[in-house]
Amino acid sequence: MGKRLMVVDDSRVVELQIRKLLEGTEFEVVGYCQDGETAIAKYGKIRPDVVTIDIIMPGIDGLETAQAILEDHPEARIVMVSSLAYEGSFREAEAIGAKGFVAKPFEQDELLQVLYQALKV
Amino acid sequence: MNQAMSQERMEQIFDQVTREVTQRTAGVCLHGGGSPSGELCTVYTTFQKGCWVGLSMCAERSLFARLAQGMLPGGQVSERDVEDFTKEYFNVLCGRIISEMYLETKAASRFEQPVFCVGRRVPQGHQEHFSLRYTSDCAESAELVYQMRDSAACTLPR
Repeated sequence: MGKRLMVVDDSRVVELQIRKLLEGTEFEVVGYCQDGETAIAKYGKIRPDVVTIDIIMPGIDGLETAQAILEDHPEARIVMVSSLAYEGSFREAEAIGAKGFVAKPFEQDELLQVLYQALKV
Repeated sequence: MNQAMSQERMEQIFDQVTREVTQRTAGVCLHGGGSPSGELCTVYTTFQKGCWVGLSMCAERSLFARLAQGMLPGGQVSERDVEDFTKEYFNVLCGRIISEMYLETKAASRFEQPVFCVGRRVPQGHQEHFSLRYTSDCAESAELVYQMRDSAACTLPR
C-alpha cells in the first residue's frame, strides 16, 4: 500500500519538486498547505503517513507548526525541510520531536531516505 | 562563541555556495566575470543578526527563466513561475550561505522572504559592501551583491 504524504511549504515550487521527485515511488502527495495555520487545521482530516514541513514560512514558522501538530497528534511523523542546514536547526528539529531533516536542495535518494527513516522510527 | 570572518573568506563562501547551488538546483554552470545588462530582474532579502544586512542577485531575465526551467525540467515556464522559482532558488542560496558561515562563525541567522522585482534594486537603506559577478554557460550575466545597512553599530562579522 502506498504512503501518503502531506507537504507544508509556502513555496509551491517545493510542492511541485517533491511531487516530481516522488513520481514512480510508493509515496503520493495527498495534501499541500502553504502555511502553518492551514496545516494544523488540515492534518487531522488528511491523516497522512508522513509530513514535510518547511522551517521558514510567513506567520507560524515550520517548527511551531510541527509542535502544534504533535501536541494534537503525537503519532505524527514529521520531516523538517530547510536550506538552513546547520547544527542548531538539526537540534531544534529533533528537540520538538521531528523524525527527520532534509536539507535543500535535495535529490530523490536523499528525500526518500529521510521519508523511510521517519516511517521506521 | 561567535568568531569573526574576513571579507575575503566571506567572498569565498558566497562564491562557492552560489556556484554549487546554481548547478545543483538548476543544472546551470556559472563562471566568474560579466555584468548584467538588458532586461534585468532582481531578487533580494535581508538577514538579521546583530544588524541588518542585505543580499541581492541582479541578473538578466533569461537567466532566471532558465533557472526555473532547470528546476522543473519538462514544464512550461510562465511569468509567475519565473518569479516563484527565482525566490525559491534564492531561498536555498541564502540558507546555504548561512549554514556554511555557521560552520566557521557559530553565528546563527535567519532571513526574510525573498522579494522579486523587475529592474536593478537594492534593499532600502543599504550600501554595497562587495559584489560577485558571473556569466552562465549560455553567456547570461548575474551579479550577487552583499549590502550592509547605512547605520552604525553593526556587530555582524566583517
